[in-house]
Amino acid sequence: MTTEPQNVRIVITDGAIIPDPKERRIITAWSISFVGALAALVYLCTSRPEPYWRLLQFLPDGIAVTFKVTVLSILCSIPIGLVTGLGRLSRNRLINLVASTYVEVVRGIPLLVQLFYIYYALGRFLKVPDLLAAIIALSVCYGAYMGEVFRAGIDSIPKGQTEAARSLGFNRAETMFMVILPQAWRTILPPVGNEFIAMLKDTSLVSIIAVADILRRGREFASESFLYFETYTMVALIYLLITLFLSKGVSIMESRLNYYDRR
Amino acid sequence: MTDASAEPIIRIRNAWKFFGELTALNDVSLEVMPGEKVVICGPSGSGKSTLLRSINRLETVDKGTIIVDGQDVNSPDNDINKIRQELGMVFQSFNLFPHKTVLQNLTMAPMRLRKTPRAEAESRALELLKKVGISDKANVFPAMLSGGQQQRVAIARALAMSPKIMLFDEPTSALDPEMIGEVLDVMVTLAREGMTMVCVTHEMGFAREVADRIIFMDHGQVLEENAPQEFFSAPKHPRLQKFLNQIL
Repeated sequence: MTTEPQNVRIVITDGAIIPDPKERRIITAWSISFVGALAALVYLCTSRPEPYWRLLQFLPDGIAVTFKVTVLSILCSIPIGLVTGLGRLSRNRLINLVASTYVEVVRGIPLLVQLFYIYYALGRFLKVPDLLAAIIALSVCYGAYMGEVFRAGIDSIPKGQTEAARSLGFNRAETMFMVILPQAWRTILPPVGNEFIAMLKDTSLVSIIAVADILRRGREFASESFLYFETYTMVALIYLLITLFLSKGVSIMESRLNYYDRR
Repeated sequence: MTDASAEPIIRIRNAWKFFGELTALNDVSLEVMPGEKVVICGPSGSGKSTLLRSINRLETVDKGTIIVDGQDVNSPDNDINKIRQELGMVFQSFNLFPHKTVLQNLTMAPMRLRKTPRAEAESRALELLKKVGISDKANVFPAMLSGGQQQRVAIARALAMSPKIMLFDEPTSALDPEMIGEVLDVMVTLAREGMTMVCVTHEMGFAREVADRIIFMDHGQVLEENAPQEFFSAPKHPRLQKFLNQIL
């Protein structure tokens, strides 16, 4: 019988493949993609500055917007996810049903449809600014996914931890916030990082409701210049490089989180 | 050892517990006096752990009452968290908090629940660690410790709340044989100091040495209850005779 929490790795594949922090080899899918993307970017910008170099100067405004939308939406979806996850684990039938229904409904509707719904359909009654609509749609959608991440993370902590805390006299809330969540955190953080990457990619959907993100900036450039191939090559490379950077970041973070079970 | 005029500190009356088809507790009654050491033994699945865990309501009995220090643990009028503060519990699987250092494992509950100032909680914790023989490990994480060391920390953690009663749920069953002794030594010391103890254990040597009374359970029932001398030398129930033959 073991008392250590199992090092559960929740794998959700719609973000990015997170490199294994223990991987010591140099040639990996990550390094090939990263070096390839970087080399392509440098080669294109130096060999054909027009239009590539110009594109590289045109798109960064969009990168800032993409990050802004992503970060704000993640920050909103984390508390939603925590509440949802706790709700799904609640023994109160009503709370449990509300949380589960929310997850069920949100997961059953495509994000793009949710986005249209908030911006256009609800826009009939209440005009929501485009940026806010984007953040609301992404937060509501990802809150449901995040809820599952929190639920799984909390579930991964052995029951003995709860029993030990409760038998010392801690109440439910103290047990959750002082004993369970601090341990669940390291199981939860990597998939949250992964959700961040997935969300960053999904923010490209908001270009449809006039938020000037990377893709939107690309479309503006392409519709003026008619250089569709060049523009979307550049857009794709930028998304790829950002995603690769972030997946490496998540991987490093994951290895740092295991400090207390090192012997 | 026990004061005849005193009230029992634990009083279990006609406790029943069902897990689906299984009857884990079948009309069990048990009283423990302050300062008394009671050992509960029996084959696995006999309901001994369920009985122990129902004392601090980690399991809720389906019928019957459990009174600890004058308070019904299942009554909604009583704060179970307050009752549990007087009931130290030691588990088979240690259940130390892996994200806290050994010292923090000991100081967390007193600081939060008893509002003990940090300095006081820490000096008391260090005292307890010295008592269980691992004062040099105060600042390491539990994963750095052997099983025997972890279990001794777990005992110290329970003692840090200065409970009136200590409950032990097979504290040595998950340990390598050479570590069992060090944990039992701590428990014997504790018993000598007059702590009220209820221990579920298979360690018959320990039972013989410290128990005032040994309870034998099977199929959710208490089949025999006796002082260690009679319990081992003159077991009456055939099931107990068979059990003792197998383990001694």
